[in-house]
Order: sequence, then structure tokens, then C-alpha cells
Amino acid sequence: MIKTFRTAFLLKNTYRVNTILYAIKQIPLLNRLLPQAIYRVYGLKIFANILAVLWELVSIFLGKALYFATLICGVGVLYETVPADEVFAHILLFLSVIGSFMNTAMFNPTRDKYYALILMRMDAREYVLTDYGYAMLKVVVGFFPLSALFGLGCGAPFWFCLLIPFAVVGLKLTAAACSLLDYKRTGNVRNENRLGKATWLVVGLLLAAAYGLPAVGITLPLLAVAVIFAAAILTGAVSIGLIWRFPDYGLMYRQLLSQMMHQLDQVNRHVRESSYKSISADTTIVSRRKGFEFLNELFIKRHRSILWKPAVRITYICLFLVLGVLLAFFLRPELKSVVNRVLMTFLPYFVFIMYMINRGTGFTRALFINCDHSLLTYSFYKRPEMVLKLFAIRLREIIKINLLPALTLGAGLAVLLYASGGTDNYWNYVILVVSVASMSVFFSVHYLTIYYLLQPYTVSTEVKSGTYQLVLSATYLVCFFLMELRMPIFVFGILCILFCVLYCIVACLLIYRFAPKTFRLRR
Amino acid sequence: MRFVIEHLKKSFENKEVLSDISFTFESGKIYGLLGRNGAGKTTLFNCLNRDLRTDGGRFFLEEQGERRDVRAEDIGYVLSTPEVPEFLTAREFLQFFIDINGSSEGANRPIDDYFDVMSISQDDRDKLLKDYSHGMKNKMQMLIHLIAQPNILLLDEPLTSLDVVVAEEMKQLLRSLKRDRITIFSTHILDLALDLCDEIILLHNGELEIVDQSNLDNAKFKGKIIDALREEHHD
Repeated sequence: MIKTFRTAFLLKNTYRVNTILYAIKQIPLLNRLLPQAIYRVYGLKIFANILAVLWELVSIFLGKALYFATLICGVGVLYETVPADEVFAHILLFLSVIGSFMNTAMFNPTRDKYYALILMRMDAREYVLTDYGYAMLKVVVGFFPLSALFGLGCGAPFWFCLLIPFAVVGLKLTAAACSLLDYKRTGNVRNENRLGKATWLVVGLLLAAAYGLPAVGITLPLLAVAVIFAAAILTGAVSIGLIWRFPDYGLMYRQLLSQMMHQLDQVNRHVRESSYKSISADTTIVSRRKGFEFLNELFIKRHRSILWKPAVRITYICLFLVLGVLLAFFLRPELKSVVNRVLMTFLPYFVFIMYMINRGTGFTRALFINCDHSLLTYSFYKRPEMVLKLFAIRLREIIKINLLPALTLGAGLAVLLYASGGTDNYWNYVILVVSVASMSVFFSVHYLTIYYLLQPYTVSTEVKSGTYQLVLSATYLVCFFLMELRMPIFVFGILCILFCVLYCIVACLLIYRFAPKTFRLRR
Repeated sequence: MRFVIEHLKKSFENKEVLSDISFTFESGKIYGLLGRNGAGKTTLFNCLNRDLRTDGGRFFLEEQGERRDVRAEDIGYVLSTPEVPEFLTAREFLQFFIDINGSSEGANRPIDDYFDVMSISQDDRDKLLKDYSHGMKNKMQMLIHLIAQPNILLLDEPLTSLDVVVAEEMKQLLRSLKRDRITIFSTHILDLALDLCDEIILLHNGELEIVDQSNLDNAKFKGKIIDALREEHHD
């Protein structure tokens, strides 16, 4: 068994190391400096190995630390009427029950299991038992210091904190044993990533119990939780025998992993098929235009479900929210001054909101998979004048689509500003509307430009451009950090508009200069 | 018209795939391009179609002694998996293509005439292309190239995975199209190459070379080609 564990661990590690090396290879510029046979270079391998081991260590503690800090203690501080130690124990219990069947380690079909069991034909029982045992050990080791740290912090007694790691594992073992028994009885293997409707309902109820009950002042007494935890440890101990003796791991995993590999192989096909599904089969859709306008009109009309419909939906939501706040002003006039103060300095926040509601990558993905992927194989489509003509048409369309919710939001904010007491500088109203609209235009231009300049998709519709991924992440980070910025409407609005105008000019120049060369199929 | 490639080179990092491609293709002929797996046939096509940047060398067209650059519209590239815009109907695709290429000689007939040429039935003409079968998509792809009349037609394994009837129709069509253009046909199927092509060229250690049939019968010629390809493997 030790040999099996060692082999499985080395296999998993090799897979991780290669994943890290592959990721390093995707970094623009760095990939040119690295040798071609990167997987053979000893030094890099050692470096990746160190990263892999670090990751293993971090994964033992980091996830659990975040779990305690946010989901348990973070939320826990919001309930002021109930004792902190009881809230801690109460939420922990319900979340642990959810985790026992949603985060089992045993019923999670992962690639390393596929490699070990299907490709390498390792002994299933030995592999599963060692892999599962290691996973449970990690849970105990990870929970030990953190449950003590956070538990004591919340005022729970030390003996209770000691119970936690074993109780969590006990619940997991019990749930795993139940699933194995169920498999024995029905032949249906559980997949923790594909839960049924009934299970989701149970999860919903448990979440409601975890967070809802303390809100109305009800928590389970700490002692009751301790008794349940002790019971879980007992059932867990009994379950070990069952898990140890279970004879059909081989068969069960073949079933579980065949589903999963089917999914993995077909991830791309799924993306493609769902893209094809978004094409409307409505035969009444026609176009009377010519050439690229004809192509574009049909594209937009036949992709209404992923382009205009969500934009219209967001517009309604914006309208609804604005009306809701107006109603709140009417019912609670004291809110006005707060909202007014917030509105005057919160404009940077809306960059992130515009980022979230923009239909950028969805549009370009549909463009590629349903249109450019095929048409780029025809030479007429790649003629420079054609590329630029179509770019201009598409830019116009995506700006139109995104502008609808943006103008609604901008106008809504201006109305709210007015209704909440207004501002001395009337320009603020104008700037509010124009700057939100310009943010929307910026995102439209941005996504289409990086699509044309980097064309990140391969022939098999995978995204294979490190630079593209980096630009997307950078966009997200910038928008995210802008949320922290507080600036008067006038200053930020003007800066925003200027930036957008400048960006659009630069983007268009770059497109005219480079797109005819860069807008190609990646092979 | 002649299509001339001179000292074309392409490497992927340190791996030299096309080391020195020099060849002159003549119009009116179908060239069968043969090579072992990984020999670089698709890479060569991708370079000629400018989907990949070359590392060196050049290629151009020679018409009545005048040299000129190969433009995008000179090349028609037919892939083994036919690619058609899924959100258009067959008729709309043709309509769009004809709008764009209105000036092309081949694009001046009523749309239904083209469908007739490809034996695409009335019912299928107004169906979305996403609902077309592989063979039907292939016909549409060929139809577009038929109308575009490119000077150079590159075909990358175009007949594999077609049923026998469609494959035969395609072969006939290629024969009828070969006048006034250069057709380069990459395939793994030796019999198909011998049946359809006027010349057999091998992609061999990153270079192109013609296999001379001279007085050999088909069986001996086949043996000669296989020997040449084996040789490459031992080099």
C-alpha cells in the first residue's frame, strides 16, 4: 500500500509540475526566453517541484483559513444578538454537513484519478484507500490549528475546538460510507460535481438553517453541537470499516471516471455546441441588406438570445433598482442625504459595475465560434479592407447593445442624484450620464480590439493566448481596484471620458495598422 | 501561370519542419502532395495561406513572364473538416459571398444554378448550415471555391470521411476545375493520389521533390513512392 501511495503521489506531482511548466510557457515574453524542451530542464523541474510542494502545503491550510475567516467567523460577526461561540458552532455544524457530501474527495472525479486508475491501471482499492486516507489526513491536519485559532477567538472552549477536525472527518466518512452503500444497492455512482435537484434543495435548506436561524436569534446550543460532533466521530469510525472492506472500487471508479473523461474530451465540443444552440432557428429572420451589413444583421438577429436579450434584461433590472431607491426615498426620506453623499463620490465603483454587465467576451466568443472560425478559412474574408469594414460594423453593433443598459443606468443615477437633494454643479448630471456611457463604449471597444489584435482562439476553439488571458485579468484587476477609489463625480467623470476617447483613438489606430495581419486563425 | 516557391523555411522553436522548399507548380495540373505523418504538409499549406508566418524564402505567381505577389484571393484553402458559418442558411451564405465577390467571373449566375451544380436539393438550400451533414458542408465549401475561382487551390485531405458518392462527385468536380489553375492536393491515400493527380510530389526531410513516373506502371510507381517515403524515415 505504501508503494501504491508513493506511485500515486509521484504521478500526481508529475502532473502538477507539468501543469506549472505549461503555465510558465504561456507567459508572453518569458516563453521566448525559455528553452523549447522546457519539460526536460532539470533546474526548472526542481523549481516547479518546489512550487508544487508549496501549493500542497498551502492547500492544506489556506482554503480552511479562508473558510473560517469568511463563511463562519466573517458572517458570524453580523449576528449581534446571539453569543459568538454558539453562532460559530451552529454555522460550522451545518456547513460541515453540506461539506460531507459536496466535498467528499472520494466522489470527485479528477484527472489524477483518471490517470492513475484508467491509464496506469493501478490497483483501484489500494489507490482509492491511500488517496482517500491522505485526503482525510489533510483535513485533520489543516483543521487542527485553524479550528483552535478561530474557535478560541469566538469564545468556544478548547475541548470543543479539539473535536472539530475529527467531527468534520467523521461526517465525511459517514457520508462516503452511505454513498458506497447506496452504490451497492442501486448501482448508481455519486458524482459530487453533479448533484441532483433534491440534493440542491437539501443544501438550500441547510444553508438557510446555518445563516437564517441565527438571524432570528435561534442557534443550537454549543453542547448540542458537541454531542452531534461526537456522534459523527463515532459513525465515522464505524464507516472506516465499511470503506476499508468495500470491494467494488474498480468498477465504481470506471463508471465515475468514464463520465468525467467524456466531459473533459468534450469541453470544447460543449462550448461549441452551446454556441450553436444560441443560433435562433426562427425562419422569419431575414435581411434585406448587402454584403457585410447582411452578414452582420443576420448574426445579430440570430443571436438575440445572447446579445440583446441579456442587455434588455439588465436594463430592466437597472430601471427596477432606480425605482426601488426612489420608493425608498419616499418611505424613508432620511436615506436621501446618505445616497446623495455616496453618489457624489462613488463613480469609480461603477467602472466595476459596467465591467460586470458588459457583453464583451460573450460577444467575441460567439463571433469566433459561430462566424469567424469558419469564415476565416476563406481567403476573401481575410482581405484587409474586409477585415476593417467588418470591424467597424461590429463595433457599432456591440456599442449599441451595451449602450442601452449603460444609458439607463447613467440616467437613473442622474435622477437619483437629483431626487436625493441634487448638486450645485449642474454639469454633474451631464457628466454622470456621459461618463457611464463612455465606460460602456470603452469596454465595447476594448474587448473587440483585443479580440482582433490577439485573436486568441485556436482552430479547435480553445483560447490559447497567454497575452489575451493576461489582458483580461489585468482588466478585471483594474476595475476591481477602482472600486476602492473615491473621487468626486466631476473629476472622475471628466478623467473617465478623456481616457475613453483617447483609448478609442489609439485602439482604432492599432486596429487599422495591425488587424489585417493579426486577425487570423491560430494554428 | 506558374506558382513558384523559393527557399521557403519554417521552424517551430528548434524543430525545422520546412527546411528548404523550392518548387514550381504549373497551372492546369493537380499535384498530389504526399508525406509521412508530421512531415509538414499542413504547415506548408498554412504558410502558403499566410496563416503561419514563414521564417524565410518567398513565393509568387508568374503570369506571362511577370512576377507578382500572391494575394489572399489567389488562394482557396479547402480543409478536411469543412468550415461554414453555422448561423447562415446555405442560400444566405452564397448570397453574402456573391455580394462580396460581385466582380468575380464565377459569381454572375442565379444562386439556384450553383446549388444545381453541387446537387444540393431544394429543401436543403434554406436550411441553417449548422444542420448540414459533414458531406453537405463539404459541398458548400467546395461551391464557394468554385465560385471564387482562386488561382491556387490547396486541399488538405478533403475527401477523407466523405461517403463514396460525395467523394466521387468531388473528384469529378476537381478534375473539371483544374483548367487554368494550380491544384495541390494533400492526402494519405496513395490510390486516391494516383487516380486523381497529374503529378506526385513528396514532402521529404523538409523539402519538396517530384516523383517521376516515366515508364513505370501504377504498381511499380506505388512501390517507388513507398520506398522514397521509407527512406525519409531512416534518414
